[in-house]
Amino acid sequence: MPANSKYLNPSFWPRFSKITAAIIGGFIVSILFHLAIASWLDHVDVIITSTYSAIILWVCLMIIAFLAKNGWKIWGIYIITSIILAIIMFYGKALNPLI
Amino acid sequence: MSKRTYNILFHLHTVSGIVISVALYVIFFTGSFSFFRDEIVNWERGHTVKAPEEINLDFDETLEQMSKERNLFGRDIEFKQYYNEQHIGVNLGASKDTLLTKEKAAGAFYYLNTDDKSTTDYATSYSLGEFLYRLHFFAQMPHPFGYYLSGFVALFFLFALITGIVVHWDKIISNFYVFRPMTKLKTVWTDAHTALGVIGFPFQLVYAVTGTFFMLKILLVAPTVLALYDGDDKKLYEDLEYAHPHFEFQNTPINKSININSYVKQVKSKWNNFNVNEVHIFNYGDKGMHVSVSGNLDYKNKINGYGYTIYNVTDGSIYGIKDPTQKTSYLDAVKGIFYRLHFGDYGGYGLRIISFLLGLIGCFVILSGVLIWLTARNKKNIPVKKRKFNEAVVRYYLAICLSMYPITALSFILVKVVNPTGMSLLYQFYFIGWLLISIFFILKKDNYLTNTYSLLSGSIIGLSIPIVNGICTGNWIWVSFEKGYDQILFIDIFWIVIGIVGLLIFSKIIKTQKNNSINK
Repeated sequence: MPANSKYLNPSFWPRFSKITAAIIGGFIVSILFHLAIASWLDHVDVIITSTYSAIILWVCLMIIAFLAKNGWKIWGIYIITSIILAIIMFYGKALNPLI
Repeated sequence: MSKRTYNILFHLHTVSGIVISVALYVIFFTGSFSFFRDEIVNWERGHTVKAPEEINLDFDETLEQMSKERNLFGRDIEFKQYYNEQHIGVNLGASKDTLLTKEKAAGAFYYLNTDDKSTTDYATSYSLGEFLYRLHFFAQMPHPFGYYLSGFVALFFLFALITGIVVHWDKIISNFYVFRPMTKLKTVWTDAHTALGVIGFPFQLVYAVTGTFFMLKILLVAPTVLALYDGDDKKLYEDLEYAHPHFEFQNTPINKSININSYVKQVKSKWNNFNVNEVHIFNYGDKGMHVSVSGNLDYKNKINGYGYTIYNVTDGSIYGIKDPTQKTSYLDAVKGIFYRLHFGDYGGYGLRIISFLLGLIGCFVILSGVLIWLTARNKKNIPVKKRKFNEAVVRYYLAICLSMYPITALSFILVKVVNPTGMSLLYQFYFIGWLLISIFFILKKDNYLTNTYSLLSGSIIGLSIPIVNGICTGNWIWVSFEKGYDQILFIDIFWIVIGIVGLLIFSKIIKTQKNNSINK
């Protein structure tokens, strides 16, 4: 019953790109997603919500990264998403400063 | 679900599961026992806590005693009940009086026994309950590695849970009732793994998420502080209401007698069934002195009933108040519910016993998963070398995991025979004993023997725990029952039940084994 290996990536670079995209990329997107929302809405509620939602989103993004056909492509998608989210966050922060 | 998705998810579930399995087993096993952490501690010390969840102390008398040893003026003093023990934590901040020498102004932390007023430091009051509780998040490893390790294990546990449930999704209903114990071994493991996994899923999901948060919160806090708060972490903790307010030290003694007990009394009379578990004094004896009395409503009344009142001592006015009877804010609800759900401490013994059983089911799901992994790879088309390696992996895993049962039971005996045990002896006994038993089982090279022997020895030792307790302390079960030593009685009965159930399972295994060998 082990998973059929024709669907898996045996070589190093596809594996490496997917694992890093999943763990690191997924984390960055998940955190920036919450920070972007927190900078516009009630930041305390969003931050305390992120204590569970950020973790769950991170794990979901991990799974999505592993399901992707190409590890570098998913890295690209995660980086572009992160940049967009970061821009939203910096605008939000400039308009609603916390400090 | 496409074939590709299914196979990838299946592989992710397998790999993440097998990598974390032993660590996760240790977390589940010790975590299950940690539901009874406070009972174990009280059992070990021979204490009985009559009014749990609350500090029972004459604060003014205690402060007077303390002032004989130290100058209390200008200090922040906190009394806090961390657990349902007779010991409460006393935290003395450094004195803000600049005229004192450094030595005299130094802060301190110790435990105070509310019953006989004796004080102990952390190492001497170390107990088996604390040991098992801290092993639950690998706190025995150098800080912070143990915390991060357990945090990442929890994270990948969540990963394994989600991939596992998605893989099983199509068969979730049809296979729920399937149990084929008479067929080949692999289907037995698979059926048990999936059925119990599905039953335990909601429980385990909650523990995975909350556990990850407890241990990896730095990963959430650090980016938030850097990006939104420009590095000002104090402001974040203030916003999330984790920090006490700050009151200026004015360096002028207050000319008024201080009566902390009356504040506690006032708070308790204001809110029905309010249990005070923390009294925090700011700037003791100074004009800027404030007293914060905080606690929770009884869980029977409200699960998230956190509240406090802060008094200004100089003019007797109320500085700040959080009324626990009012509607709980979303912030407090999330903060409170995380701990309640993880500790399972809001529903009395019943809830904790169920949680204990679900925790043991978790242990079983982990081990059956490892065994599926082995049997699925024990095929003729796989090279012998690889099969041998797989077999050795499982042998090591089983030996390490299953020997936890006898060594934990044995530690309960140790803490009664050598009492108080102290931190270093407990460490040596548990870890060296665990290592020796594991090595014994590994060398025996027989998983069946590992399983039966650990079960048999752990159960026999477990059954002898109440007897050893009776001999060493005179608190036999009937004595504890008669005198109402609830916590002591609970642990004794707890071990009798575990021991008997363990022996029943053992005899069942032996019987099936005999039948099988006759049939062959």
